[in-house]
Amino acid sequence: MPEPVVDVRGLAKTYDGREVVRQVTICARPGDLLGLVGANGGGKTTTLRMLAGLVTPDAGAGFVLGRAVRSGGLDRRRIGYMNQRLALYPELTVTENLRFHARMHGLPAKAVGDALERFGLGEVASRRFTHLSGGWARRAQFAASVIHAPDLLLLDEPTAGLDVVTRLALWDWMTQIAATGSAVIVSTHDLTEAELLPQIMLYHDGLAGAQTTPAALIAEAGAPTLEAAVLAEARR
Amino acid sequence: MNAPRRIMAIAAVEWARLLRTRIALTLLVVVPLLQIVLFGTAIRPDAAVAVAVAAPTSTDAENVAKTLRKQRNILVVAQGEPGSAEAAVKHGNAVIGIEVPEARSFANPLAKGGPLRIVVDESNAALSSAATARIETAYWRTLAERSDAAGPGLRTERLYNPASRSDWSFLPGLIGVTVMIAMIMLGSLSLAREREGGTWEALLILPAARWEVLLGKLLPYIVIGTVQGLAVMAVGIWLFELPLPQGAAALAALLPLFCAAHLVLGYAIAARAQTQLAALQGAVAFYLPSMLLSGFLYPFATLPRWAQALGEVFPLTHFIRAATGVLLRGKGWSIVLEQALPIAAFAAAGILIATLFQSRSTG
Repeated sequence: MPEPVVDVRGLAKTYDGREVVRQVTICARPGDLLGLVGANGGGKTTTLRMLAGLVTPDAGAGFVLGRAVRSGGLDRRRIGYMNQRLALYPELTVTENLRFHARMHGLPAKAVGDALERFGLGEVASRRFTHLSGGWARRAQFAASVIHAPDLLLLDEPTAGLDVVTRLALWDWMTQIAATGSAVIVSTHDLTEAELLPQIMLYHDGLAGAQTTPAALIAEAGAPTLEAAVLAEARR
Repeated sequence: MNAPRRIMAIAAVEWARLLRTRIALTLLVVVPLLQIVLFGTAIRPDAAVAVAVAAPTSTDAENVAKTLRKQRNILVVAQGEPGSAEAAVKHGNAVIGIEVPEARSFANPLAKGGPLRIVVDESNAALSSAATARIETAYWRTLAERSDAAGPGLRTERLYNPASRSDWSFLPGLIGVTVMIAMIMLGSLSLAREREGGTWEALLILPAARWEVLLGKLLPYIVIGTVQGLAVMAVGIWLFELPLPQGAAALAALLPLFCAAHLVLGYAIAARAQTQLAALQGAVAFYLPSMLLSGFLYPFATLPRWAQALGEVFPLTHFIRAATGVLLRGKGWSIVLEQALPIAAFAAAGILIATLFQSRSTG
């Protein structure tokens, strides 16, 4: 079994005296596709930001890509991160945005063309990011996040508010990336989508449950769907 | 009938938002408070002007000084031998120097010989003109009281700005103010905009050290600010007939540092501010006192000691000294290097504060 890409235990983060995340334990190996599932404000984003090294956990231990999660010095060359907002430079074209990300990762110019082709961005390549529709913008952002073929890909609500075609395309790409050996951790509050994931963790009010499969959760709750199982869990 | 109720409901919501928004409270309370304090206690454009007196004998010097002390807002800072008053002006220790020639004195103007010389540092005409006029009036009054209207004559020598052009006095500071406002605004707004848009977070996840990000962000603005400063200087030379200074290269070399100091300050403001509006407010809260206490709007020498101490912190104060030295007093690298040190110290402090605020906001 390959070494875990993410192996953290008991992560916690407090903002203004409020514990927004507690007892987060994650183990993700190359090829894993793990979903952080739960309502908005449940602590999923903070977990992803801790794993990305954008915030330092207040408590907990473990490693991300071989580096201590609380060291403040994670290996960002091997991490891909896509936040909830459409966070590419609005004044730049899609190509220029991708070129910037490629240069930051020390990649040759060819990587930009490859990304444009792989993610079907050719027809909007010379369009400014600000002029793209939500679906195209999300595709471009996804392309920028994975242009360097990261070993760990962290995606915060990547499909929220998207049309069904783009949503399916994104899930397809996430699955492909995991299949090439990257660990993919994705947050979502869409339980229909979460039901298709091989592994999930349920978040409720900052507290994360154990890693499990949707089928196991459904069976444990004796519910017909993941949605019904989560509702039952929330009522307990 | 429901209109008043709706209006009151909207007003109530607006009132609650106002009270709960820190920026609005800052606009309404802190900025006016700052203006009241600065205009009420620090800004005194008619404050005392430093005058040095030189005469052949100490008695002559004391007689002149005695007459001057009766004048409003004249502060005799030195009395000495012939030539010392002019030297005091050239070294920046006095704004006006009075040179009483051999066998003459201000107290005894009927004696024959060359005129009494008043040497004026006219690089800050706003400060020196009124005081010079008062001294000249005092001289002629003294003559009149001694019933000899002819007298030996009076010669006023205006250094650095012979025509007492107010635009010349203003231009060195204008370069600094123009660049300062642009750099603080661009620095604070660009980062605040990135934070609001989410691109800042996306940038932080890329494999670049914080200093690399900072430098990469600053460089274009430093170029813009330097070009802007040079353009204002060029306009001063071409349109306002400012003499082409020998030390122009030295002043040009100071501009990037001056830009960087304000850009990092802008970044520190933006790192603390949550929104672009808050960043804008922070920028205004800095450059308002900077303009008031740097010597740009009011002569630095007229400020009380506490305001001068505060003014020494602002890079604009030092830039104006360097620019005035180069553009009007014909100085070069010496004045620029002297004034570059405190600007560099300010920039270093700005970097530390920006890093600290940034760490807190992500930490």
